[in-house]
Amino acid sequence: MPANLTSIEPVRKTVTVPAAPPRAFELFTRHIHEWWPLATHSVGIEQAAGVAFGEGPGGQIVETLTDGTTSVWGTVTDWEPPHRVAFTWHAGTPAAEATRVEVTFTEDEPGRTVVLLVHSGWQHRPDAASAREGYHEGWDQVIGRYAELAAAAR
Amino acid sequence: METYEAVLEALGDRTRRQIVHRLRSGPLSVGELAAALPVSRPAVSQHLSVLRRSGLVAYEEAGTRNVYRLDPAGIGELRTWLDGFWDAALDRYAQQVRDDTGSRAPRPPRD
Repeated sequence: MPANLTSIEPVRKTVTVPAAPPRAFELFTRHIHEWWPLATHSVGIEQAAGVAFGEGPGGQIVETLTDGTTSVWGTVTDWEPPHRVAFTWHAGTPAAEATRVEVTFTEDEPGRTVVLLVHSGWQHRPDAASAREGYHEGWDQVIGRYAELAAAAR
Repeated sequence: METYEAVLEALGDRTRRQIVHRLRSGPLSVGELAAALPVSRPAVSQHLSVLRRSGLVAYEEAGTRNVYRLDPAGIGELRTWLDGFWDAALDRYAQQVRDDTGSRAPRPPRD
């Protein structure tokens, strides 16, 4: 079966910013509410009021809506300032098999950082029991949650 | 509706995801799909129509056996959406860093 017929290869994005890694890291995480485009990238859309990035392993990335309710997008798994942070990504649905985002901050010259974001976990991931029946629950959950997130973000 | 939105609508249904999963192993006829799933044959046909319109599934007449197979074009649209999602978010982040750096007053030189 062709490797990429139904799986989605990891998304890799790079952006270079005019700050050293500590500030680049801090702006990405602690100050996420200052730049994240909630109007298009959120569960609540017009009801989205803010987003916060919990610091440290186990920290949650949480959207707050205008009615005070919250929606958890993911949970920090790796917290290594100023060079690396990784988190699960499940945009408000139960996180049984979330996808994963890793962001690294590498100084390529003084005061300038290359930020690399890799969003992985979209590929088909079989588990032993359901493989026998030919149906892979993990993939179903991943694609289902992706569809919910994407539909909410329109 | 943009093509990738049609793909997301198609994949938002669990039975359609099951159909897409079954077709990973190779093309199947409507009857073969209905036999493998807990839904009626007419329901399978309806789901296959949605999947065809989204570009995820293609139909092939192969002599006496007409089959459905996966079409990579639909998954490509999904990937396009995901690319755009992160492009937009990171563009905003980069602009924020530029604004933050630009707003910091330069230190006066020491005497």
